[in-house]
Amino acid sequence: MAEVVVHRRRTGTSLVMMLFALALGAAGYVLTSLNQNGTFPADWLMSAGPLQFGGPWFVGVAAWFALGLLCWGITVWRLPYADPLILPVAFLLTGLGVSMIHRLDQADGKRSAELQMLWLFLAVAVFIAVVVWLRDHRRLQRYTYLWFLAGFLLLLAPLLPVLGKENHGARIWIEVGPFSFQPAEIARIVLSIAFAAYLVEKKDVLAMAGRRFLGIDFPRPRDLGPILIAWGFALVILVFQKDLGTTLLFFGLFVAMLYVATERPSWAILGTLMVVVLGVVGYNAFGHVQTRFESWLNPFADYDRNGQVINAQFGFAWGGLFGSGWGEGRPYLTPLAKNDFIAAALGEELGLFGLVAVILLFGFIVARLLRAALGSGEGFGKLLATGLAFVFALQVFVIVGGVTRLLPLTGLTTPFVSQGGSSLLSNFLLLGLMLTITHQVRRPPLEHAETGEYVLLSADATQTLPVVGGARAATEPAAPAAGAVDAPRPDPEDFGAPGPEPIAASPITAPPPDGEAP
Amino acid sequence: MSELLVLALKFAFLALLWVFILFTGAVIRSDLFGRRVPAAVAAAPVASARAQGRRNRRKGSVPTTLRITKGKQAGLTMGLGDHLKIGRSTDCQLILDDDYVSTRHARIYRSDGGYLVEDLGSTNGTYLNNERLSSPAPFTPADTLRIGRTLLVVEA
Repeated sequence: MAEVVVHRRRTGTSLVMMLFALALGAAGYVLTSLNQNGTFPADWLMSAGPLQFGGPWFVGVAAWFALGLLCWGITVWRLPYADPLILPVAFLLTGLGVSMIHRLDQADGKRSAELQMLWLFLAVAVFIAVVVWLRDHRRLQRYTYLWFLAGFLLLLAPLLPVLGKENHGARIWIEVGPFSFQPAEIARIVLSIAFAAYLVEKKDVLAMAGRRFLGIDFPRPRDLGPILIAWGFALVILVFQKDLGTTLLFFGLFVAMLYVATERPSWAILGTLMVVVLGVVGYNAFGHVQTRFESWLNPFADYDRNGQVINAQFGFAWGGLFGSGWGEGRPYLTPLAKNDFIAAALGEELGLFGLVAVILLFGFIVARLLRAALGSGEGFGKLLATGLAFVFALQVFVIVGGVTRLLPLTGLTTPFVSQGGSSLLSNFLLLGLMLTITHQVRRPPLEHAETGEYVLLSADATQTLPVVGGARAATEPAAPAAGAVDAPRPDPEDFGAPGPEPIAASPITAPPPDGEAP
Repeated sequence: MSELLVLALKFAFLALLWVFILFTGAVIRSDLFGRRVPAAVAAAPVASARAQGRRNRRKGSVPTTLRITKGKQAGLTMGLGDHLKIGRSTDCQLILDDDYVSTRHARIYRSDGGYLVEDLGSTNGTYLNNERLSSPAPFTPADTLRIGRTLLVVEA
């Protein structure tokens, strides 16, 4: 007797966790002001062009709660079986991030937190669009090559003369009006989808057909070719844009997905070896790679050049185990504390315990996504969930590792936490995708008809074929011909399906099919 | 604010952050395996008692083999396991050589005392007795399944 695994909806759990997360996020904001001035925060003011939105501090907090609960409500409405934890954890990270940006605003007098909240509104809109529209991630599988194309266009956009903008030595931005945007953040998701869609089709030929060389099974060039070209192209663009962190991210994504799709550990080994080789080559060939290594291994040798890393180290040291408390430390001394080095700011004010908690929260998201990948019955969802989880984990590892001097520093945003509109937007897009996949994985197998997903997918029938329905007569000769035809047939009304068409309308009386004549 | 209050709030915040993490751990733990129910229970809301009664009445109602009666591969038979995926992709158990079949077209799986057939979002649809499937439906020896230009029946 076959058994199926049924997951509960966990709407209540999700709501409790959501409220908890929203409260913790808001607490950081309030505590900063309480600790610094002994009063509640000053007025909250968001302005988008002519539109102004503001009021006392609790208006900001109320807007924050409203956004969170809106996301929760939409998720419960459209994706009732979605993972109950991913959304609250993501909102807790966002809340800690906005609070920390607000705290850093107190030092430099800017209004970045309000801007970040404005982006959060946009991000939530994108999230809602994904959740309401997409519902089934398998619809994305159909457009493999379009995704590749879209990914490349996004990666190429910053190189365009009018649109592109160089910032901090890397040409990875596009500028539209007052907003600047980092398209590589979206390209990360788009290329994950493209790789997953391609590999799910080709995984068997990639794993089986090919020749063995140096103990590693290499696939045939015609199977590997398209994806290799695609990936090489992406890497060349990124190297050209001098964006080391994103290059590493795409490389890791490619290797991890190839490994998961083919189940051949040789890919993982080969990928790691290639990172080492490229690292050695890059170290010897490029000056700025040597600088990065120098400031990683021996930062205190050159205070002027490595001031950022050194300040982060001092911050961690002052924070100690429990941190200085919200608003009590001096994280603003580190340059770019709101973006790349927000982990250092959190480490200083929340201490080791706080920073480890934040890293664990990232870990939870990755774990839930990998759990969904394990439970997924179909290849595309499995690969997509793994790819998204891996690229997310790698990004957190690279930036937090860089800030804590575990790795050489490469500039990446910390997902959900860092200041930056494109980062927040793309991460909420990712969040919507994650919830969609978990909903599809956790949903009971027989609810399809109610939600109508499959019906929607198959609604675009391209042709109707003449039907030969007489096979029944050949296989069950005992059944009397006409009268009993519909007797054993299950009544569609029993299954909640729309009423059947009149029997007379269907050509059941056709002759037995060829080759089956008695 | 007094130093003591600042200190207390600092620790309260960290403690609550970790309480959140413990909660998360507890939810993950309770969510680890889901609930195992027999497939029949999951199918129960779909099939009514009347339909079940009908199915049980028929002699030899549990099929064992799947036979292709029309199409390029006509005459081919294969045993029915717990789960059988039909389509053109290599990860299907039954790979149909038929241009009107989707990569992953339909699946046939065992449920209480019989088999259910379900369309997997195919382009051209799956037809059971000339009716397009919109939800999993029982597939008995009395039914004819059409996938693309291929007709299939199950046999006891």
